[in-house]
Amino acid sequence: MTTPAPAAAKTYDLSFARWVRDNVNGGDKLNLCMQCGACSGSCPIGVQMDYGPRKLFMMIRAGMKEEVLSANTQWNCTSCYRCVVRCPRGVPVTYILQDLAAKSAEFGYAKGPHENKNFAQAFWWSAATFGRTDERLVTMRYFFSLGFGEGFKRAMANLKTAIGMVKTGRMHIGLPHMTKGRKGLKAALAKAREIEQRN
Amino acid sequence: MSEKKPGVYLCKGCGISDAVDVGALEKVGKNEFRIGHCVVSDALCSPESVASMQKDVADGAVNRMVVGACSPRVMADKFRFDGVPVVRANLREQVAWSQPAHEEDTEMLAADSIRMAAAQLAKTQQPTPAALGEISRTILVVGGGVTGLTAALEAAQSGYDALLVEKSDALGGWSNKWSMRAPHAPPYRDIYGNDIEALIAKVKANGRVRILTNATVAKTSGQPGAFDVVIAHGGQEVTEKVGAIVVATGWRPYDATKLTHLGYGASPDVVTGIEFEAMLAKGAPVKPSNGAPVKNIAFLQCAGSRDPNHLPYCSSVCCTASIKQALQVVKGDKDAMAYIVYEELRTPGTAEEFYREAQRNGVVFMKGKATSVDGKAMTVSYSDELLGEDVPLGGLDLIVLATGMVPNSTNVDAPAIEPEKSEAQLKDDINPVAPIKVSGYAHGEGSPWPHIDKGVPPGGPILNLQYRQGPHIPILADGFSDSHYICFPYETRRTGIYTAGPVRRPMDMAESAEDATGAVLKAIQALEGGAIGSSVHPRVGDLTFPKIGHEKCTKCRRCTVECPFGAIDEDEQGRPTVNFARCRRCGTCMGACPVQTITFDNYNPQMVNDMIEANEIPDEFSEKPRILVLACENDAYPAIDMAGIARSHWSPFVRIVPVRCLGSVTLQWISTALQKGYDGIMLMGCKSGDDYQCHFVKGSALAKERLGKVGETLKSLALEQERVSFEEMSIADSCRAPTVLDAFAKLVGDLPPNPMKGF
Repeated sequence: MTTPAPAAAKTYDLSFARWVRDNVNGGDKLNLCMQCGACSGSCPIGVQMDYGPRKLFMMIRAGMKEEVLSANTQWNCTSCYRCVVRCPRGVPVTYILQDLAAKSAEFGYAKGPHENKNFAQAFWWSAATFGRTDERLVTMRYFFSLGFGEGFKRAMANLKTAIGMVKTGRMHIGLPHMTKGRKGLKAALAKAREIEQRN
Repeated sequence: MSEKKPGVYLCKGCGISDAVDVGALEKVGKNEFRIGHCVVSDALCSPESVASMQKDVADGAVNRMVVGACSPRVMADKFRFDGVPVVRANLREQVAWSQPAHEEDTEMLAADSIRMAAAQLAKTQQPTPAALGEISRTILVVGGGVTGLTAALEAAQSGYDALLVEKSDALGGWSNKWSMRAPHAPPYRDIYGNDIEALIAKVKANGRVRILTNATVAKTSGQPGAFDVVIAHGGQEVTEKVGAIVVATGWRPYDATKLTHLGYGASPDVVTGIEFEAMLAKGAPVKPSNGAPVKNIAFLQCAGSRDPNHLPYCSSVCCTASIKQALQVVKGDKDAMAYIVYEELRTPGTAEEFYREAQRNGVVFMKGKATSVDGKAMTVSYSDELLGEDVPLGGLDLIVLATGMVPNSTNVDAPAIEPEKSEAQLKDDINPVAPIKVSGYAHGEGSPWPHIDKGVPPGGPILNLQYRQGPHIPILADGFSDSHYICFPYETRRTGIYTAGPVRRPMDMAESAEDATGAVLKAIQALEGGAIGSSVHPRVGDLTFPKIGHEKCTKCRRCTVECPFGAIDEDEQGRPTVNFARCRRCGTCMGACPVQTITFDNYNPQMVNDMIEANEIPDEFSEKPRILVLACENDAYPAIDMAGIARSHWSPFVRIVPVRCLGSVTLQWISTALQKGYDGIMLMGCKSGDDYQCHFVKGSALAKERLGKVGETLKSLALEQERVSFEEMSIADSCRAPTVLDAFAKLVGDLPPNPMKGF
């Protein structure tokens, strides 16, 4: 399989398992999975996933490319690492899910307004820019990335919560918090990007 | 024989004197059996006591003894004196440890134990073995594959000559065809090169091994230590004297042409594991149809295995073989993908590590049953059990069917000998409870397991045994040779003939080599045992043998038919003749004999009869019923002993008589017990059936069969049928034993007393 692209029909692609093995971070360990389900059972937000990690991995083996790359499983992972800690076969579940999310965005499976992708991008923007996540900025950027109308609607709906948070000192007004060594952060991220490009 | 001088030795140790009055037991010996020499010791197994017993023997004060102490299963080495028959009364495990102390019933039980032992001693003789003396120390190995080669080599290295007979023109068998082999040494992860050439060279270089290729066994007669084997070789027949035989005829792959539902034959790109192995041996595999390199390959496990329409069993090696082949593929070509479609992956033993290695190397395992195979489109559809849906694996280059092993327990190339007769015999032999086809026993119509009838393999016998019971080595339902797979796997039902390797059960090269080594050691034991007249497993070292009283024999032939080991032949006049070295000393012939004329020196119908009669039966008003338990000494008796060790208590009305095997139980004993006034009789022994645990294969099944007749007898005596019962008891059932005994005691206690009491 070359690079995957969305296809409408449900197909089984025998080469998908190999593609995941060769291209997804941690994919080479995927075949160690013995389908015990410790990952899915441990996942705190498994109920919100289309498929748990166990099933998703079996789908990869079966070549169910479309379902796997369009699933919300990889996007909903909060990187708590509980699955990684518990996996009896040492499969890096979190890495695989994270990279599957990145790959599905890259190959156009998360096109247009995509809740998970947009939130992740807003989150990363804040973290990479300030070295901190600012609730106000992340929320606003996320809401309005879904379109102006949708953003306004969601902002209004959450206004009461926001005021309440400010009143109780849970959210501050003013400049966003920033990390002290922003210069160092930028340099570190630049270096990371460089390494990624190199690979 | 010189004058009998019996002695009674009683032990007070291990809590015996805390539970029973040992002085009263001494009186039983002195007053009832007139045994003057009665000794009581605080600890009979102490060096001082043993020394004094030795002195009594040396002084000529005693030349036979009753030892009333612990179970006969322990301290056998302490109470063994040259030329002195010793009978043990089990006062510890089955009295002191399992009954309340100093109760009237406990004292009665202890006294009865001594009575039974004294009665047993009166009929016990020191055995004079039937030694063959001059024997052949050559071991015949049939089959020149990895099992046969290892067997020949191991025999030679143990100092015995080996004669290796191979049907084909080359040694090595199937192993010659393997490109590589699965791991057989730590860390059990890597594929190894096929080292069969080295093994063949080693065997050829060994001066003790004589090799005959293009040779088969035409005829076998005789017994361990003295088999006469006729070998057909180069158009001639040569007779060889051998001491023991190892049958390593191996296996053949299941016929894949029957697997059209898995696409075999639809395309040259659907092959069996054996065919794929040949492709791998040539180098990187290519598609047979067009020579293109193989990039996507699917292995279908259980192809024709664990399938009621084909082989019902698991061949246990196909999973490992497919893993090996898949690893060879993915290691040989980084771009290749190997998919293994399996229902349950079975990688026994260390092969589990190999399975992980395959996962590490990217072999993809798909759990599910193949539902359809399109050999033209090269698509395998399987119902994935983990996804819960049907998944098509399309675009495959090669489909490999992992077919199972069929044992070569017969020579398929040879015609069946007297087809009708040998098939009937085969059916009887593979079915441990097959109806017995001689007069005298009630049995229903047909076989209780019709599927076994289908298991009769084609072809002629391998050894062509000139035995009363037919030319074949008995086989089990699936065609593998019959052996007691739990306790003594190499022993077949033909003593001195040992099956090893895949003819016994499916196994790989490493297991086969190990199996061959074990079988050769057993073969050596059998031929050396023949020389001194000693039995093989499970009664190793037993020097007794069945003696047939020809003056009483009615030539009914039950013993020759029922012997589980084919030890008894018939002479020209139809009289039974025992081949002593073939005998396992179970006593099944003794139980079969309607005129009780088969005896052993220390085990005979009269002896047990006397033991049963020796017990005191209280009258019908005493409310003390008596229950006779005839317990198999291999499993049931130890289980009861262990219950005693665990200090479990059971009914004090039970009297336990150990028997060699339930097969040795003659109905005479049951009628004696009923006439004597016992209220209930229980036969306790091993499981029978096609998953039997009987140490003598057919003993417990025969006992059950014979017991079927007792119901009628009881009815005619106006006795309740429940009085005679049969209980299966394995050695692991010790916690169940007291419950079983108590339940039977209650059942019998609720019946009116046996009206025969006091007659």
